[in-house]
Amino acid sequence: MIMNRREIIVGGASAAALLGATGVRAQQPSEVVIGAVYQMSGASAQVGVDAQHAFDTALDVINNSYDLDLPLAKNAGLAGLNGAKVRVVIADHQGDPQKGRAEAERLITREKVAALIGSYQSAVAVTISQTAERYQVPFLSADNSSPSLNRQGLKFYFRPGAHDEMFSKAMFDFFDALKQKSRKIETLALFHEDTIFGTDSANAQQKLADERGYKIVTNIKYRANSPSLTAEVQQLKSVDADVLMPSSYTTDGILLVKTMGELGYRPKAMVAQDAGFSEKALYDAVGDKIEGVISRASFSLDLAAKRPSVAKINEMYKSRSGKDLNDLTSREFMGLLVLADGIDRAKSTDGEKIREALAATDIPGERTIMPWKRVKFGPDGQNLDADPVLLQWVGGKFVTIFPASAAIAEAKWPMNA
Amino acid sequence: MTLQGLAQILASGLLMGLIYALIAAGLSLIFGLMDVVNFAHGEFLMLAMYATFGIVVATALDPVLAAPLVVGAMFVLGAFVYFAVIRHAMRAKANIGMVQVFATFGLGITIRGLAQHVFTPDYRSIQTSFLAGRTLDLGGVFLPLPQLFGGLLSCLSFVALYFIIRRTDFGRALEATREDAGAVALVGIDKNRVFALGWGLGAALVGIAGSVMAIFYYIHPDVGTPFALIAYVTVALGGFGSIFGALAAGLLVGIVEAISATILSPSMKAVGIYLIYLVVVFMRPRGLFGNL
Repeated sequence: MIMNRREIIVGGASAAALLGATGVRAQQPSEVVIGAVYQMSGASAQVGVDAQHAFDTALDVINNSYDLDLPLAKNAGLAGLNGAKVRVVIADHQGDPQKGRAEAERLITREKVAALIGSYQSAVAVTISQTAERYQVPFLSADNSSPSLNRQGLKFYFRPGAHDEMFSKAMFDFFDALKQKSRKIETLALFHEDTIFGTDSANAQQKLADERGYKIVTNIKYRANSPSLTAEVQQLKSVDADVLMPSSYTTDGILLVKTMGELGYRPKAMVAQDAGFSEKALYDAVGDKIEGVISRASFSLDLAAKRPSVAKINEMYKSRSGKDLNDLTSREFMGLLVLADGIDRAKSTDGEKIREALAATDIPGERTIMPWKRVKFGPDGQNLDADPVLLQWVGGKFVTIFPASAAIAEAKWPMNA
Repeated sequence: MTLQGLAQILASGLLMGLIYALIAAGLSLIFGLMDVVNFAHGEFLMLAMYATFGIVVATALDPVLAAPLVVGAMFVLGAFVYFAVIRHAMRAKANIGMVQVFATFGLGITIRGLAQHVFTPDYRSIQTSFLAGRTLDLGGVFLPLPQLFGGLLSCLSFVALYFIIRRTDFGRALEATREDAGAVALVGIDKNRVFALGWGLGAALVGIAGSVMAIFYYIHPDVGTPFALIAYVTVALGGFGSIFGALAAGLLVGIVEAISATILSPSMKAVGIYLIYLVVVFMRPRGLFGNL
């Protein structure tokens, strides 16, 4: 991965030399730097490592010429800036909001980045987005899902993907659809970690359940990275709800499933709020124990049937990381493309100009690798056309089961009959 | 709550408590011997888990059978760390306590960083043990076999420790060195050798814990951190340097954690532990069984 970065730097430098030789106007930057703030050490470091591969893939698409129907794929570099290449500088926030703030500040003031992208943990996105606002530098929230982020009243905040209320709405639409087919879904058990991601997700689910007449029989908020989840699982087991709805990162997700197995609890159905439940590591560890688990997602590999570039991008990503694109890495890839497209149209690295260009973004869904209708930001920076999908883990892979327009197969319900 | 539910919580708390006690035992042993708190203890645990994983992947041995190898390797590692790092930290002329704290703390961070580089931050887990995923069902109270096995090993380790400390020459040398490291030299005991053996033994104990935990927990460069935190409070609660205090405190922590997660709320479960510790500090600052 260091090699990749080096290659990009070398690529950027040689492009600069080339531009210098052809006598391009001096004030045009030959290189655009974007700062990526991710966790590169600590409990979720693998997410950061995977994100880096996703960005390297996106840079490959942007800086080289590919025959793909994606923004910036056709020509090498940013046409709006005379073919300037894009470079990504990665900073490590260690999962800590305060370090996120410090790293964002350093990237803006020292590395002179044109824009920021991040950051997986929503709690860290709060401080990054506020720092970006203060310096008037756009922050593209690639894979954060907390709905409170776009409600901070920030002008420089943009999120192409869905937030947890949109995701949760898809889950409840799915429940409603099942009920119409006279399946019994009355009681729900919420199980969520205690940072902003888990609590926002549970609040959204609580609200939707109240509105649509589902009964929440238990709402367990647990400490993230707990050494043991026995007491928690015991409570889940004693209420045995129709649907168990976890909002957990990978470590807790693995421990949850292992502990459920140990305590002999087989939930009737599980519908997860992504995060850990979209991670390969979780399915490698405990996938056999949760056949039929459903997770909301922004991405699915079987989309390749409807979006031709999915397969090619997945291949490019896989050659770097050894893994298929997942819910997070697909959004990271697409996020960088959307951001670079904004900079390209801004024809400038000035924060305000990029902000204006991003606010005017209008990319049709077919020109993305996502199931989205389009990318078009509202005044709060949220893309309201980021349609989520629900995936079911069947026979060692994910199958899209909802909504009907994207579904490849009928849902197996309940997962443990 | 049903009686069955209560029994389940107590049983789970007890089993987890035995593991906590086992992790804390090594820490307590080293502290009791030479007044050094090993802040790399969580990383020792993590290395033991990776060692188990590595042996299982390389040889297809059951992790239970790999355990003796891991424990042996951890013993060597512990002794090596003493000679390579701690011995030098102890030569400091001033602020010796601080130097030791930072030496072990730095060691911990180094080990974690190297682990992330070498093993990658991906999550691993062992699928192939004959214990994995098996559970004993006692009338609705579920006792997972890996944890039961861990509890049993923990009990055996404490019995063995008792004999080592009370009945062997090494144990007597350990006690004597703890009393007065200068005076033992006069009777021909090499203090470096005793300290190194103490570090080896401490690391071997956490090695036992790691090789069992590798069966039922995920493995990750950061996996030791939450366990180390609990081990520090366990040692402080039981009394610095008291190995059997560590056993009692480990059990107490396991049960209090399970009960406070049930009665208060799961996000408050650590609060119960620290509340008890604060009460103990207030009533008996040297810890429940501390005699220092």
